[in-house]
This record gives sequence, C-alpha cells and structure tokens, in this order.
Amino acid sequence: MTRSYGNKEITFAALAGVLYAFFGLLHIVEGLGIDTGMAGLLFIPGDILGGFCLLVIGAVFLNGLREMLQGINAGVSFVYVGILMSLIFMAVYLLIMGGNLLDSFLVPDDYEGWSVMESFRPGIYLGLLSLIGILYWKDSFSSNEVLVFLEGA
Amino acid sequence: MLGIPTKSKHTKGHNMNEKTLDFIEPETSVKVLKVTGQKSSRKRILDMGLTPGTRVDVIRRAPLGDPVEFKLKGYNLSLRKREAETVLVEVLK
Amino acid sequence: MTEKITVALAGNPNVGKTSIFNAITGSKQHVGNWPGVTVERKIGKRVYNDVMMEIVDLPGTYSLTAYSLDEIIARDFIIEEKPDVVVQVIDATNLERNLYLTTQLMELGVRLVIALNMTDLALAKGDNIDEKKMQEFLEVPVVSTIGSKGNGIEGLLEAAIDELHKTRVTENVFTYDDQIEENVEKLRAVLESDPYFAHYPSRWFSLKLLEGDENIIKKAKESNSYSEIQKIMNQTDAEILEAKVADQRYKTIQTMLRQVCNINTSHLSGSDMVDRVVTNKVLGIPIFLSLMWAAFEVTFTFGTPFMNIIDIFFGWLAETATNVISVPWLASLVGEGMIAGVGSVIIFLPNILLLFFMISLMEDSGYMSRAAFIMDKVMSKFGLHGKSFIPLVMGFGCNVPAIMAARTIEDSRDRLITILVAPFISCGARLPVYILLAGAFFGRDAGVVIFGLYALGIMVAVLSAKLMRSTILKGEDTPFIMELPSYKLPTLKGSLIHMWERGKIYLKKAGTIILIGVVGVWLLASIPAPGSNGTFASEEVYGTTKSVIGMIGQVLEPLVAPLGFDWKIAVALVFGVVAKEIVVGSMGVLYGVGEDEESLSNILAAGAMTPLAALGLMVFTLLYVPCFACIGVIKRETGSWKWTLFQLIYGTSLAWGFAFVIYQGGTRMGLLA
Repeated sequence: MTRSYGNKEITFAALAGVLYAFFGLLHIVEGLGIDTGMAGLLFIPGDILGGFCLLVIGAVFLNGLREMLQGINAGVSFVYVGILMSLIFMAVYLLIMGGNLLDSFLVPDDYEGWSVMESFRPGIYLGLLSLIGILYWKDSFSSNEVLVFLEGA
Repeated sequence: MLGIPTKSKHTKGHNMNEKTLDFIEPETSVKVLKVTGQKSSRKRILDMGLTPGTRVDVIRRAPLGDPVEFKLKGYNLSLRKREAETVLVEVLK
Repeated sequence: MTEKITVALAGNPNVGKTSIFNAITGSKQHVGNWPGVTVERKIGKRVYNDVMMEIVDLPGTYSLTAYSLDEIIARDFIIEEKPDVVVQVIDATNLERNLYLTTQLMELGVRLVIALNMTDLALAKGDNIDEKKMQEFLEVPVVSTIGSKGNGIEGLLEAAIDELHKTRVTENVFTYDDQIEENVEKLRAVLESDPYFAHYPSRWFSLKLLEGDENIIKKAKESNSYSEIQKIMNQTDAEILEAKVADQRYKTIQTMLRQVCNINTSHLSGSDMVDRVVTNKVLGIPIFLSLMWAAFEVTFTFGTPFMNIIDIFFGWLAETATNVISVPWLASLVGEGMIAGVGSVIIFLPNILLLFFMISLMEDSGYMSRAAFIMDKVMSKFGLHGKSFIPLVMGFGCNVPAIMAARTIEDSRDRLITILVAPFISCGARLPVYILLAGAFFGRDAGVVIFGLYALGIMVAVLSAKLMRSTILKGEDTPFIMELPSYKLPTLKGSLIHMWERGKIYLKKAGTIILIGVVGVWLLASIPAPGSNGTFASEEVYGTTKSVIGMIGQVLEPLVAPLGFDWKIAVALVFGVVAKEIVVGSMGVLYGVGEDEESLSNILAAGAMTPLAALGLMVFTLLYVPCFACIGVIKRETGSWKWTLFQLIYGTSLAWGFAFVIYQGGTRMGLLA
C-alpha cells in the first residue's frame, strides 16, 4: 500500500496542531481572568468555549500527526478534518465580525469605544494557514476520495 | 472500561463460534445466523438487510461504548447493544 | 391543460429524495401534515408536456411494514389514494438495500418508475451500473438522475408520463419458494372472490397476511371471508415466513445485481475515513461539541444584529403609529398592542432561519446521524434518542427554534418528549431576570446562583423526560436502528429552501397564536377593572391595580403568597408570558421606579422581597409557562392543544412546587435570613 502522505503533511499537521492548541489554551487562560500579556498583541479574547474549540482543532491535527508518525495511512484524514474544522470556525468568526460591525451601526450606544478589530481573533487568522493548506492540497483533495464530499464531485 | 461487555452475560447457542452481535469486537467480520427478539424490531432488522447468511463487518463502538456501527451490503448501520443482542451470528475466520 | 395526474415520490431516507422533489417542483411547494398525525407532508406542482402533475413526497422509508408510522402513511397513501405513478428515488451507491423497497412497491402493483439518483457519486466510487439491463430485469423504467444538480429530471417526468399510458403493470417479478407461493395463490383465490378486497392488490395483501401484518389482518377481519383466510394463515408460521420473505427478496436482488452492475467494494471510502475522525473514541465528542458551539454562535451571536434591525424597525413603527393616531386608546392598541405583537413574532425569525440553515447543513452532509450516534448513550439514559441532544442544547439560546428543531427526531414519542421538556432549558430571555435578582440579593455569589439555575433547568428537563418515558408516554421502546449515510456536500439551494420552509411554517402557524397572546395581555392590562374609574388604555390604568390584569394579580395573590410573592409579582409573571425578560420591566413599573433597573434592585433588596422569595422567583421564572412564542410552536409541533396545555400545567406546578419548597423550607430552616 502506498503512503498517502509525505513530509509536507506531517509538517503541516505539526505546525497547525501546535498553533491551534497553543492559541486555544491562551483563550482559556485569558477567559479565566489570568493576564498572559499576549492578549493585545495577538488579538486573543478571553473566551473559554471558543478556546476549547481551537484546542480541539489542535488536538485533531496532533492526533493526525501521531498516526502518521506511526505509519497509519488513514492518519492523514485527521489533517483534512482539521482543515475543514478550522475553515468552519474561520467562516463563523468572520460572520460574527461582520454581524458586530452591522450591530455597531444599529445600536451605537452598546458599542462605545469599540473597534471592529475587537472581533478579529485567532480563529480568523489561523484559518489562513488552512486556506493555504487547502489550496496547496487542492489536487489531492479533489482526486482523493477522502474529501470528495468537499468538492461535491 | 467503557463498551466492553461483562463476562457474566451468556452468549446464546451451542457452537463456540455462535455469539450475539453485541459481543463482537470491532474490526471483526461475522455471518448472520438468526434474528430473534420482539416482532417489530426483528422485522425492522431483517428489512435493513440482516438476513441469515449476510456478512456483517463490525466497524466501531460509539465513543461512549454504545451504539455500535456495522457495515453490511455496502452501507453503514448502527444499532444499540440492546438490538444487536437479538442478532445471532457466527464469527468468520 | 389536458391531463392532471398524481405522482408519489417514495424512497429510503438519505437518498436525495428532497433534492429530486425540489428539482421537480422548484418553489411551488406546500408543506403541511398528513391528516391526524404530525408527520410532515410536502406537495408540489409541476406542469410538463401539458400534463399537470401533483407531486406528493412520501415519508422516507426502508420498507413498508406496519411497525412505523412513516411506513404506514406511505403504504396507505399508495393503497388508498392510488397515485397514478410512483417514482422511487434510489441511491445508486447503495443499490442492494434500496431495491428492497422496490420489491415491495412492485408487489403493491403500482406503476413504478425508478430514479437512479446520485449516479455521479456511484461513478466516482468506481461502481458500474448498467441501467438498460436493470430496466430489463425489473421491467420498470429506470432513469438516472443527479438531484443536487437537477440532471435527468425531465427524462424522469417523461418516463412517468409514458408509464401512465402503458397498459400492463408487473406485480410479480419477485417470486418466493414454492411453499409460500402455494399459500399466496390460495389466499389470492379467496381475496379475488370477495368484492371487499377488490380495492387491494391481491398478491401483496396475501403476502402481508402470511407475514402476520397487524394492520392488514385487521382489515381482513372486517370481511366475510375471514374464517377462510384464517384457515390458510394457520398453515404457516408468520415468524419463519417473515424471515424467509426478507431473505428471498434480498437473494433475488443479489442475483440481479450480479448481472447489472459491478460494485467496487475494495477500498476504504472517503466516508469511512472521515468517520474514523469524527466518531473517534477520544476526539469524537469534543469535535461534536465544538461544532455545536459554532452552530450556537452563528444562530445567536450572528443573529443579534438582525434581531436589532427588527426591534428598531418595529419600535419606530409603533412610535410613528402612536404619534399619528390622535385617539389615545387606539394609539396604544395599535402601537403597544398590535405592532409590538407582530414585532414579537418576527423577532425570532433570524434565530429560526439561521438555526435551520445549519441543521440543514448537518442533515444533508450526513453529520446529523453521527451526532446522534455519538450522543445516544447519554440521551438514552433519560429515555431519549441521540437526536434529542441538538434541540436541547439550542434551547440555551432560545426555546423557540429548539422546539422546532425537534423535527429532526423521527420517532414521534421521542419527539414529543423532547418538545415537552425543551422549555425547561434556560434560554437567553430568562437571563435578565436572573441578573437583576441574583445581583440584588446575592451580590458576589450571583454567578453561582445563575449557574445553579442553568443546572436546575437541565436536571428538570432530563428527569422530566425520564419520568414521562416511564409513565404517560410508556410503551414498547422503539428499536434504535439508524443508518449512517455516506457524507455528501450539502447544496446551498437545498439548505435555503429548507430554511425558508421552516420560517414560513413558524410565521403562519405559530405567529397567529403569539399575536393573539400578546394582544390579549395588552387588553387585560388596558381594560379598567370593574369599579375603578380609569379610562381604557390610559397610562394611569395600564398594568396597574386599576386594570383587569391588576385585578387578576390580586386574585392570584393568595395563590402565590406561600411563595413569598405579592400581587405585583403575580402581575409581572402574567406579563412574563409575553416574553420572559418582560418580568423585569413590569416589576420596575409596578414598584414605581420605571425602567431603571438600578433603583428596582435597590427597592427589592431594601425589603420588598426576601432573598428566599427572590430565589424562588428566579426558579419560578425558569420553570413556569413558557412565553407565547414557545406555546405557539409547541402547539404547532405537537399538533395538539392537549399536550400544549399539559406542558403549561406541568411546568407551572413544578415551578410552584420548587418555589414553595425554597421559600417555606428555607424560612423554617432559617436559611439566608
């Protein structure tokens, strides 16, 4: 059986896994009211549930990494699902950002001193990584049956 | 541990290979021998294709141990253990 | 237009029947219920080649037994209403099990056309299907379609019209062993000699009798030839026969499949690989919870600006109306009664549309059954189905879309229980009440109190489910037999249609009830109480002791006095049925501090209420009669005033009981004094 993954997949899983898990933890720590000193710079909101979600995405990538390192062929599907989840969250947070912007015009009193960057968060910019991933693996995504459903073919 | 049936329960049948479907470990293939149980659930299970002689692959248990996922006739089906218990099978070597 | 025909659309669940239905009828659909039950019925129209077709979407079924309501509805429609043509939609990637239903439809003696759907996916999977051979074998027209793209629809309609003009209908392609056939023939002879049975397809009816089908036996009992029928039936054992029939149907299908197609079973499919991840022992549940949170955020956070738009618009409209109308009572009726009433119906629309858009994505992609698979163990402990989890979770945002989301649960009893307990999940509208009261009375511990209320809501919901399951909704447990369909890309069009359907149903069916409720409460608050000298709908009357609602409050006072509530709170609770957050505003008005929450909490904490009564009030607000919008959707979804009333009485009794125990018990024990 040929391996359906290579070093690129492994590197990607490691990178995305570590980043998502780390940022997820930062969200949670901030959410518990502990100042990490990184909140302003990295746009990290104190959001325990949102942090949990990023942590889960990180764990999905890292489990894919673990399986690939063990030589389990299907391990790569964790990477694909991880990419899919990170894109879902990116879309959700972009929608919410747009929604908040709209809301700030509707009820300006509730948004005093608010700027749209307050809705900009790691879920959005980390998603760019997956976007690059999906563009890079576009071919394998469409030829590989794993994500036939993504392409709808 | 979750999802592992206790040993105290008996499997039905005389043959060593005859077991009820809820006892089969994932990644095992079996052949259906007979469906017992309540009339309505028996009929439904038969309708879904678990007729005698059908090959069934046990795929996995749900994260909490129940229900269980099977593959048969090219599609995936899940049954709670309570339903799987009514299907008598023979393990394929 | 020359001809008018009825076409019934049959098929297994998850075969793309809805996309075929949408592709045929476009937006010309009517969604209602099958008579007497809450199973949904969709009817659409399409004119093709001068033929006016009425398309009836039958419930998705795997078989046609008498054990499930969906199957009874489907087969009764075919037998009793006799549609001109039945189109069965078949999933080309899953022929064997799909053809099982075909065998039964053929035995029913209907004019059948097969829509071989999702042929693109079958091809991608490496399956090779020879439609021509299949058509020859079955002696039924087979048309290949791709519902999601609308391919093959015209060919399908053409085939349906052609089939109608053929004279012969095949009803016994599938034959069973000699012993069964012999008994079938004997029964057929009896049935065909009795005019009572002329209405029914005799071969199918005979087989069902032999299988011991309860509905069919009941029908036969009403005939004069039942004793004769019974004699023949007694010669066979229904249990053995039923297994044999299923077995032989599948054997025939297998024989046919070997000739007409070449199925690729060798590789691990994409679906299997995705399932390895999303139903993973460790990660499956966290992944599911994350996706739930994403759906929750979109529904409620992203929905907020849209709710504000509606709020602002109706606020403006009410104000304009009040300014324009010079008669004060009429201005109040139009502004505070009717326009506010319509606004309170429409305000829920963004949540409902967004939630159903996402539910549709989950259902159409195939993830919904995985969610049920993952959560079933937890939910079954409380006598519920895995699919009950999503409606209950969505209840934290708003109970209205949550109750509507119970639609996804197939079994009617599981669905009913989920609807009845969903209002106990603490929604967003109750939070302002908690924040005010917990803030005023519990200071630093407010967070713990609020958390406790959410926990209580969950406990009451699941324990009530368990209680109902073991008492009033007892009965044979429905077996859990669920297909995990392969993943598919949901289509935007399909999800939008689904979302819009739900919104329409909500506005039409629940809207009226909500509107009547809101206007009704306005009237109660505006009509001066007998004996008081106020004027109708004037500010000095509205909602005070001088109004009917004030009078009701005073009448109710003895009932709520044991809970430590006075008449003002009773009135606020009556107002709270309009929407729970109104409890706070009404209390402000009644305690004479207007909308200012700060002064309200000061007055309350200064002794208008004891902390125990405040705690009781929060619990009461959580559990008593849900808002009019909830009542409206409960009525619409259960289709019964009896169950709606049951929910109201059950909830209010629980609310009273809890508040009583907290206030009386707490006072006796000297707690929080």
